[in-house]
Amino acid sequence: MPPSTICWTGGANLSMSLVSRGESEDVIDLRPVLFINGFLLLVLATAMGIPAVVDLVSEDRDWRVFAISGMLTAFVALTLILGARPKDRASLTSRQAFMLTTVAWTSSAAFAALPFMFSEQHLRLTDAVFEAMSGLTTTGATVMIGLDHMPKGILIWRALLNWLGGEGIIIMAVAILPLLRIGGMQVFRMESSDKTDQIKARLNQVAGSITLVYLGFTALAAIAFWAAGMGRFDAVCHAMSAISTGGFSTSDAKLAHFNTAVQWVAVFAMIAGGSSFTLWTGPWKNGRPRVLDDAQTHWYLAFLGTAAGVLGAWQWAVNDMTPGVALRHAAFSVSSVVTTTGFVSTDFSAWGGFAHVVFFILAFIGGCTGSTGGGVKIFRWELLFALAGIHLKRLLHPHGVFVIHYNQRPIAQQVLDSVLGFVVMYFLTFAVFSLALTMVGLDLITALSGSASALANIGPGIGDVIGPMGNYRPLPDLAKWILAAEMLLGRLELFTVAVLFSRSYWRG
Amino acid sequence: MLDLRPVFQVVGTLLGILAVAMLAPALLDFRDGNDEWRVFVVSGGLTLFFGLAMVLGTRAPGCRHGIRQTFLAATFAWVVPPLFAALPLMYGPLQMDFTDAAFETISGLTTTGASNIHGLDVLPRGLLLWRALLNWLGGLGTIAMAVAVLPELAVGGMQMFRLEIPGPGERATTRTARVAWVILAAYGGVTLVLALLLWLAGMSGFQALAHAMATISTGGFSTSDASVGNFDNAAIEMIIMIGMIVGGMPFMLFFQLAKGNGKALLRDGQLRWYFALLALGTMGVSLWLMTSRGLGGLSALRFGAFTVVSVMTGTGMFTVEYGNWGGMPAAILFFLAFVGGCAGSTTGGIKVFRFQFLFADALVQMRRLLRPHAVLIASFNRRPIPEEVLGSVMGFLFVYALSFALLAMALAFLGLDFLTAVTGAASALANLGPGLGSEIGPGGSYAALSDPVKWLLAGGMLFGRLEMFTALVLFVPTFWRQ
Repeated sequence: MPPSTICWTGGANLSMSLVSRGESEDVIDLRPVLFINGFLLLVLATAMGIPAVVDLVSEDRDWRVFAISGMLTAFVALTLILGARPKDRASLTSRQAFMLTTVAWTSSAAFAALPFMFSEQHLRLTDAVFEAMSGLTTTGATVMIGLDHMPKGILIWRALLNWLGGEGIIIMAVAILPLLRIGGMQVFRMESSDKTDQIKARLNQVAGSITLVYLGFTALAAIAFWAAGMGRFDAVCHAMSAISTGGFSTSDAKLAHFNTAVQWVAVFAMIAGGSSFTLWTGPWKNGRPRVLDDAQTHWYLAFLGTAAGVLGAWQWAVNDMTPGVALRHAAFSVSSVVTTTGFVSTDFSAWGGFAHVVFFILAFIGGCTGSTGGGVKIFRWELLFALAGIHLKRLLHPHGVFVIHYNQRPIAQQVLDSVLGFVVMYFLTFAVFSLALTMVGLDLITALSGSASALANIGPGIGDVIGPMGNYRPLPDLAKWILAAEMLLGRLELFTVAVLFSRSYWRG
Repeated sequence: MLDLRPVFQVVGTLLGILAVAMLAPALLDFRDGNDEWRVFVVSGGLTLFFGLAMVLGTRAPGCRHGIRQTFLAATFAWVVPPLFAALPLMYGPLQMDFTDAAFETISGLTTTGASNIHGLDVLPRGLLLWRALLNWLGGLGTIAMAVAVLPELAVGGMQMFRLEIPGPGERATTRTARVAWVILAAYGGVTLVLALLLWLAGMSGFQALAHAMATISTGGFSTSDASVGNFDNAAIEMIIMIGMIVGGMPFMLFFQLAKGNGKALLRDGQLRWYFALLALGTMGVSLWLMTSRGLGGLSALRFGAFTVVSVMTGTGMFTVEYGNWGGMPAAILFFLAFVGGCAGSTTGGIKVFRFQFLFADALVQMRRLLRPHAVLIASFNRRPIPEEVLGSVMGFLFVYALSFALLAMALAFLGLDFLTAVTGAASALANLGPGLGSEIGPGGSYAALSDPVKWLLAGGMLFGRLEMFTALVLFVPTFWRQ
């Protein structure tokens, strides 16, 4: 046994206790799921108060819609909380945790869609759900046109959805996914905070510090946006959707509507949103936060830098942009796609074939683990790269023993296995959903890029329809539902949802 | 210093075979009264000279044949012969420049079938036969690689297909020889049967032979610019389609059949997936043809099945120009191009078995989520898949995806549009042939592309044919150290 197994036993015992409890029941007990889900809906209902207040202050009639939707949501939430209150302490088995993640995201999106349907925008059900799902999964694909003239309530509601979705994702990535061993996330359970054996306890412990960092970043970004010349309202909205890597804007032209300084601020805000939030918390080492000593961060920054440099050079050499403008747009677009934000500073569809191919491929990279970004994630690519290197070495030394190290720690075979499974499922999902999109009538480029974009929770795709300056409104309804489902799958890291469809899940 | 003599031996022998093969077009041209026969004879003589020089000059008793020599030999066996095979194209009536000629022969020998010659219908028959022969020889080389070389080198999970250890009554060498003869006989036999059937269905004897060779090798060079569509004959299409399907099947199965082990055919999981994928793709494309193009059921099936089989097996023949079909068939074909045929066939691509491995593993992953401590092992044809094999497959897949991404980016960098760059890269790596879009789609030609683009594509074809790692390993520094 390699030494790495030692650090593993702690985690292994923990999940054994988790699962043995899960397996002792034949039928899954939904009460804790509904109970916790109720709390999440309550948060959503409270959040609806904010746009209501904003609309009330700016004397817009929509405040009633938000108030009523909020009350409705709160009513359902309270019913769930009171009705499903477990007798003893609430605790989750892993089966229930799987159920909770999917149910929570789906039900929140359903309730969050209410204001879109009944406000003055009067979106149809499909559009409203698409918009809400796109917001909560921090995708940022929109069906709304004419944002510049919309009441402030609906604008801040969209930004809030991004922001809440981002918060939910970090908590899920940090507290729940590692326990569930999704796609190699076990690695991150070896971080400082895995002494607890209860998801709830872990949640309380981790959530506090991370939320603080998240809030701090948002405030910083808002101030920076404001200092760079945005109005206060726009600054807050954009800060929320940048740190959450969501990508909803208050203007149809997105960030192209604002000045150069604002765009640079957005670049840094997006990069912060795509970095590992766990690593910003905790003690500093050598006088700097741990995030700077992390292998994933190094790859992430190196990757962003290279891609931005190449594209900037291309724009400068081929499309005659001045160096400064080329660098700004390249850095902006690359970080927008890699961190899966989906902001747009210029129509990069017009950059020609090379840019199309590069952005299409960048869409599969994704941010760091424990960030608000989606996609495959840098850490998994690192491991795959190492795996390919080992295969290469093994060809020459068939009997050698090779171990992959990550952050100076050996990686166990099981972790590699789950990373492998994840990536395979990712590309399979991408292929299946692209096929489904072409079946409802989309052309090849729209289908391929739309599917990649939804799965990675980016937002814009490539092509005339859903490109950076495009809009998802003209798509057929069926395509919108497919995309919304894909966003959810991508956001919940595939396996969390896929496992609900396996027979053994329900057999217990 | 690495002992390079075994490498020269192998490459020299292959050049000898290539030189002999050049006699066939020479004879045909001589009979037709084309002056070109001289070019073939001279090229053949030159090739033979170099081949013999390599073989005789490096002959040494008892030189060691290690794993590194095998890697080098495998790589150069695919890189050097196309350069000599290009001679007749350069000095023949076409007077192609070096880039075009090398592109054509690399495409031929890797059984890709991407062509930059326009006006095939009026070409002298010698050249047409030469192109078909390149496909055919390339197909044979591919099978030899997949059956004998790659499993031994453990490239990309191919170690699962090592020849089983012979029983006590049989020596390993005799068994290998027997396998080789059976496969060679099967390959030649199927080619002849196909040629005969095509001739009966209405092709001329020459066309029948050329198409049979390009079909069984899943190469795809045709004798007409309109490919198989030129004949507009359902029987011919049917025969070629079956030929392509056979070309995408593992040729080791013929050995099983020769042993009287017919049940192996039915039990092979890879074949089942292969046929299932073909059927699914055909269904999708045919349905689209029926609903969107208003074709009748039978003709939709005829065109749909042919196209799907041609793309998935990496042949690249076509009956209709599918480049302008809508999103759904384009997406189906695009994804199928990555799949390819079975291991041990003449096809390229990722291959069906790797998807099976990964799928089996993904299912195990899912079960493990619910039962972290159960011992769950992915299996293939009722054999457990060892951990290293899964690692190899994943490494392979990653490098495949990476090469695709880099190649597509490089192509786009040189000025191709999105569709041409992406499908061209996929098509070259999978040794398919045509891409999508107006330029390199079926019916189009690679002729108009710039020279760097052609070299990149040719490099992609070789890289894909060598299953990446065979070539990649040469760039590892320790490879060259003692």
